[in-house]
Amino acid sequence: MRPCGVFDKSYGLDIAIIRTWQHWAILISALILLFLFPLFGSYYIISFMNYLAISVIVGLGLQIVSGYCGQISFGQAAFMAIGAYTSAVLTIKFGFSFWIALPLSGIMAGLVGIIGGAPSLRIKGMYLAMATIAIHFVVIWLILHMEITGSFKGLFPPPPSLGGFEFDTDERMFYIIMTVMVIMTYAARNLVRSKVGRAFVAIRDNDLAGEVMGVNIYHYKSLAFFVSCFYAGIAGSLWGHLITVVNAEQFTLMHALEYIGMLIIGGMGSIPGVFFGVLFIRILNELVMFTSPLLAKAVPWLGSSPAAALGLVAFGLALIIFLIFEPRGLAHRWEIFKASYRLYPFAY
Amino acid sequence: MGKRSAIFLSIALAVCLSVAGLSSSSFAKEVVYLSLADYTGPIAGLNVPGDMGLEDIIKETNAKGGVDGVKIKFIGIDTRYDVARAVSAYKRYRRTPRLLVVNSISTGIGKAVARLIERDKRLQIVPGDGEFQAHIQRTFIWGPAYQDAFAATLDWIMDDWKAKGNSGTPVVGYLSWDNPYGREHLRGGKEYAAKLGIKFLPPEFFPPGTLKHDVYLTRLAKAGANYIHAGGVDPTPTNVIRDAYALGLTKNIQMTCDYWGPTALGIGVHAKALEGTVITSFYQRGDESKNNPFVANLWKKYRGSAKFNEVYGMGMSWGMTYVAGLKVALKAVGYDKLTPDDMYKAYQKLAGFDKHGIQGACAYSPTSRRGSLEVKIYRVKGGKSVPITGWRKAPDAVSLHKF
Repeated sequence: MRPCGVFDKSYGLDIAIIRTWQHWAILISALILLFLFPLFGSYYIISFMNYLAISVIVGLGLQIVSGYCGQISFGQAAFMAIGAYTSAVLTIKFGFSFWIALPLSGIMAGLVGIIGGAPSLRIKGMYLAMATIAIHFVVIWLILHMEITGSFKGLFPPPPSLGGFEFDTDERMFYIIMTVMVIMTYAARNLVRSKVGRAFVAIRDNDLAGEVMGVNIYHYKSLAFFVSCFYAGIAGSLWGHLITVVNAEQFTLMHALEYIGMLIIGGMGSIPGVFFGVLFIRILNELVMFTSPLLAKAVPWLGSSPAAALGLVAFGLALIIFLIFEPRGLAHRWEIFKASYRLYPFAY
Repeated sequence: MGKRSAIFLSIALAVCLSVAGLSSSSFAKEVVYLSLADYTGPIAGLNVPGDMGLEDIIKETNAKGGVDGVKIKFIGIDTRYDVARAVSAYKRYRRTPRLLVVNSISTGIGKAVARLIERDKRLQIVPGDGEFQAHIQRTFIWGPAYQDAFAATLDWIMDDWKAKGNSGTPVVGYLSWDNPYGREHLRGGKEYAAKLGIKFLPPEFFPPGTLKHDVYLTRLAKAGANYIHAGGVDPTPTNVIRDAYALGLTKNIQMTCDYWGPTALGIGVHAKALEGTVITSFYQRGDESKNNPFVANLWKKYRGSAKFNEVYGMGMSWGMTYVAGLKVALKAVGYDKLTPDDMYKAYQKLAGFDKHGIQGACAYSPTSRRGSLEVKIYRVKGGKSVPITGWRKAPDAVSLHKF
């Protein structure tokens, strides 16, 4: 986002993400503010931000496979479950440290993701969506019926620790979660600008044309699923160690739908879109949580309970409104804003 | 000032005034009750009327000046039967000043939140998870454990089998949700069946939200079931029995349910299909609940002519227990020193607390986490739940299982 009259004067500047010293200043200040937040922020907000950041990591993964590579996936919640359970099993049953279990859980989810994404080599669109839903149910069924995953009772992973220091509160976990989120955002941002990212986009826009141009469809589709599920696995591991309980019921198809909804609202094929979508849906949920009791007070015969149905209604309405009026999501609005700022004070 | 600035300032002012208005409406002396309830998911049929009863008790208590001047604030969160949402919500509310009790309305949520409750030295109440009786913690259950109530059903099955002039023991089938709730009954219930010599068929499980149950029912029927216990929270058991009726199974097989079996709502819709169904309940059902003067008065006062649901009474009993516990805790330490730990200690002193006939007397003590010990057996007759026994103590099936 640059003001009018600021131009790229070198190739290096042209390909840079951060282009001006003002950008650097804003970025560094924002990161300092973020990491100092637990010192002055309320517990409620810190806890909420942890939840947001984990959702962002899952959303980034989904954005890569669906938004960039065009492969629709309803399996994201299941892959998150694989990450959460892998981390829990490794730390509880094999005594691994969280720091080793974290990447391994991502890799495990990624490897299963390659298997899960295999149908994408033969089928597309709605059929692929159905195949990923099937994968979701298979994964959850296996988790519920295997002894190593604690069956229906679940597992209780310990909070991470480092040299005797336990990350056993939301404030402490905040640092781990935010660091991972920042790294994964940086990685995703760069991945989609690379040769790999361009191959993903080629597959999304026209896979046949892409193949003719030399894009190895098999390789890149598998890679997209691996990366996407790796993200979900990492998020699952963080989630498990944050709440210290992993249960199959935490990873339902509804969660997978919610992540898809986040991408639609935030904007497909955009990294900032993930942030917009996650913020929008999660804040909407919070608002509903607060406003429904007020609604119940205003309309006493409703009681507090039916008013709470507002959450689902609001989610559905938001999706419909965006699909009709802004199918390119909030990210597109952001792009329009950036473009006008670039021209300001000129009209064109 | 430009037009945009004026609009922005007006909005900001309105938000500030609303926030100020909200905060000024909070009471000086206040304690909090957090309900992690499913208002829109598969167990909404239980949670919605339950929390209505609870809220009305709180309203009534606050209208009378609170408990020794301390008002109760109710916070209801719609978890949508989603463990992740519930745990995340609890984490955000866990530092709310004087949050004394958390009601986690789902076996899965209760199990997940229990660890955090232990860490926070707080008190949790959950539906009927026998694990919390087996391993005494800070989590209390609403009535007898699921396995206890299931054992009481098995006792009734044995009596019924003999009363019909049969010899030997019956064959019993079980089908329920494929989740922690669905399996909890069997952790002790299965051992109790073995103790009675009952032939217990391999249990059938299905995901919450399943629309048709023909496959499971047919399998149990083919295996020779004389009795089938249908689990799940209403409307699930109603739907299961509706399917059994459509398959013609209810002619020869007696259907039974636990305390989340068909309520007046389900019975009203499928009276014919549910005829003869047996429900084991720890709280009053049907007209018995509707005509309980204590329940009827509160319903009339706050709900007027709305359609009554018997789970309302059970929700009232959560509220009554909370008020009773708060009285004990305030008497012990006073408001200023009141902590969730004091409420935990207070709950353990509530044994014998009378719940106006809605359910048996409270059984909470240092060694008991059961909200009450008794169950009553009801049968659906002519579109209504009619009691066919008085209150009877449910067997202790929890102790039979190695948790």
